[in-house]
Amino acid sequence: MGQIIRIHQALRHLTNNQSAVEVDGKTVGKCLAELVERFPGMKPKLFGTNGKLLSYVDIYVNAESSYPEELDKAVNDGDTLSVTIIIAGG
Amino acid sequence: MLTIDELERYDRQIMLREIGKEGQEKLKKARVFIAGAGGLGSTAAIYLTAAGIGNIRIVDRDTVELSNLNRQVLHWDEDRGRSKVDSAFEKLKRLNPDVKIEAIQETITEANINSLLAGCELIVDAMDNLPTRYLLNKASLKHHIPFFHGAVYGFEGRAMTIIPPKTACLRCVYRGVPPEERFPVMGTTPAVIGCIQATEVIKYILGIGKLLTNTLLNYDALNMEFRAFKVKKDPHCEHCGQVKERSK
Repeated sequence: MGQIIRIHQALRHLTNNQSAVEVDGKTVGKCLAELVERFPGMKPKLFGTNGKLLSYVDIYVNAESSYPEELDKAVNDGDTLSVTIIIAGG
Repeated sequence: MLTIDELERYDRQIMLREIGKEGQEKLKKARVFIAGAGGLGSTAAIYLTAAGIGNIRIVDRDTVELSNLNRQVLHWDEDRGRSKVDSAFEKLKRLNPDVKIEAIQETITEANINSLLAGCELIVDAMDNLPTRYLLNKASLKHHIPFFHGAVYGFEGRAMTIIPPKTACLRCVYRGVPPEERFPVMGTTPAVIGCIQATEVIKYILGIGKLLTNTLLNYDALNMEFRAFKVKKDPHCEHCGQVKERSK
């Protein structure tokens, strides 16, 4: 069954304009790894050169923040992950 | 006491059982700080002024440019080159002469933030950058002033209400600073978010309804969806918790 990753508006051009991508993983990190494998352009938008999530990227699992576990946070079949980036315009 | 004119001006909201004359008097006594007279600040200021918030201090450093006019509805074509706070002062006074408006053309900095905020009971975050938002967040925590966050990008907007020290602060939710850019924005997006911020301010003053505390409301205009992300107060937050080293 896997999980659905909802893609932030500003990143959808990197997922062929898909607003949601289906993946299958046991943790947030594994889900994002599959996302990045299928859409390599996402990698520098999500991860730093150290392999950690960028500080201005947040992942929500079923609308709850994954912080502080972030990549290690366990996910279940049917969960929805939301990839968001900080916005700052006014 | 409300004047006869005020009773008539606010008649449609005084009719609400959640407001009444008593609530309207609370709005009249309130002192609100609006940080920014741009897209968010224009909308929030217009609706707070129209609602009869008695005292509004609006701060912005910029002058009106042509490229502001798709969203910054306090400023009109004739205002190009004028300071945004002068333009805001004039429009808000014309909208509601009973409201005391203080318009200050300043850059909000660590050095002046306490004096700029002096006497204000609530902060509306209508800034266009995160470093200044973080300054406002810290000041909100220091002085225990409720903080009403809003931000926009393109067709997306966010809002969150922070009641220090009880609820998650901005830094509990946002831990980094995205690269600086000239952000795109559809004018209707800050209008929606600025209205939400103004509504939260009014609800807080009146002590009614449920606030966007511990909740980051995300507005996706393209899909016309609102999603409420739950957030928690971070015990290790750099601003409201214990300092902890974060990855850059």
